[in-house]
Amino acid sequence: MSAPEKAVDTSLDAVAGHIRDMDTDSLSLPDILNLAEIMVGSMQGFFGHVDTAIYKELIEISDFIDTTRSEIGRLQPRNLKDKHFPEAGLELEAIVQSTESATNTIMEQAELIMAADPDDMPGYHDTVQGAVMEIFEACSFQDITGQRISKVVSTLVHIEGKISSLADALGSALSEESVEEETAEEKRKRELILNGPALDGEGIEQSDVDDILSEGASQDDIDALFD
Amino acid sequence: MAVDLSMPVLVVDDYKTMIRIIRNLLKQLGFTNVDDAADGTEALAKMRGKRYGLVISDWNMEPMTGYELLKEVRSDEGLKPTPFIMITAESKTENVIAAKKAGVNNYIVKPFNAATLKTKITAVIGEF
Repeated sequence: MSAPEKAVDTSLDAVAGHIRDMDTDSLSLPDILNLAEIMVGSMQGFFGHVDTAIYKELIEISDFIDTTRSEIGRLQPRNLKDKHFPEAGLELEAIVQSTESATNTIMEQAELIMAADPDDMPGYHDTVQGAVMEIFEACSFQDITGQRISKVVSTLVHIEGKISSLADALGSALSEESVEEETAEEKRKRELILNGPALDGEGIEQSDVDDILSEGASQDDIDALFD
Repeated sequence: MAVDLSMPVLVVDDYKTMIRIIRNLLKQLGFTNVDDAADGTEALAKMRGKRYGLVISDWNMEPMTGYELLKEVRSDEGLKPTPFIMITAESKTENVIAAKKAGVNNYIVKPFNAATLKTKITAVIGEF
């Protein structure tokens, strides 16, 4: 019980005691007005405190909304939506297209070499020379792709920085314990064990796969691979 | 008994370039009858219309994955004996164990080379 509440409680006890002591059969209007005055006087402090507490709460909420609005403003969501995300998407599309195009060129040239007639040595020589040059040229995609990937990484770093500062500003208001609901796509990936390509050191080697599949592999051997 | 290199082989992958790579490697190894499918559903339909001597499948495809295809094949009495090799970038131990439990005959981790492909095919269908 807060101090103002205790004060009200005490005042009410006093008023109740006063009423008990009075001859209630012969209460006059001034007596009633007197009691009402005492009641109002004792409640004023309480309501005054409640008003202040609510006011403080509202000020805090208002400050929080201002901070959030300001931080979201700093995130520049329109800039992210209209510039950063579309640009990153276009860069990734360009990467897919250039790697696909280079792969097709390389494979076409390799197929030309495979199909060349080694009995016709001058013709075979020309085919191989031409194809090898085409393959070298196609491999230049790696340089451009590397630059495009760097741009996408910069965008991700930019977004990460913005989100981190928003998280810092909101601080304890963000619940770390909120559990995200699993999406249908995530459920499919979990059930069908779709992990995707592993990074270096995360996946297992072909020799480990061979060990698992070998007839002699015991459960202990398999368990050891999880260590 | 020598392996019949004219036996139908089905390559299942949603990435055309990978199909092209595996087709060329199989051609280099002497296989002359190679079909392809872009996912498990298409592969299953093809397998129900033609008897394949070997299936080489990717794992991660839509709508039906290679893992689902493998389970479908092993639960179908007519298709059950078909040799099945998984070629995939899924290189977690849990994937290999799941594939083994589902009845895969061999498992190749991408990126792979021609020698690995030949070794695994030989282990599954015999010397050729």
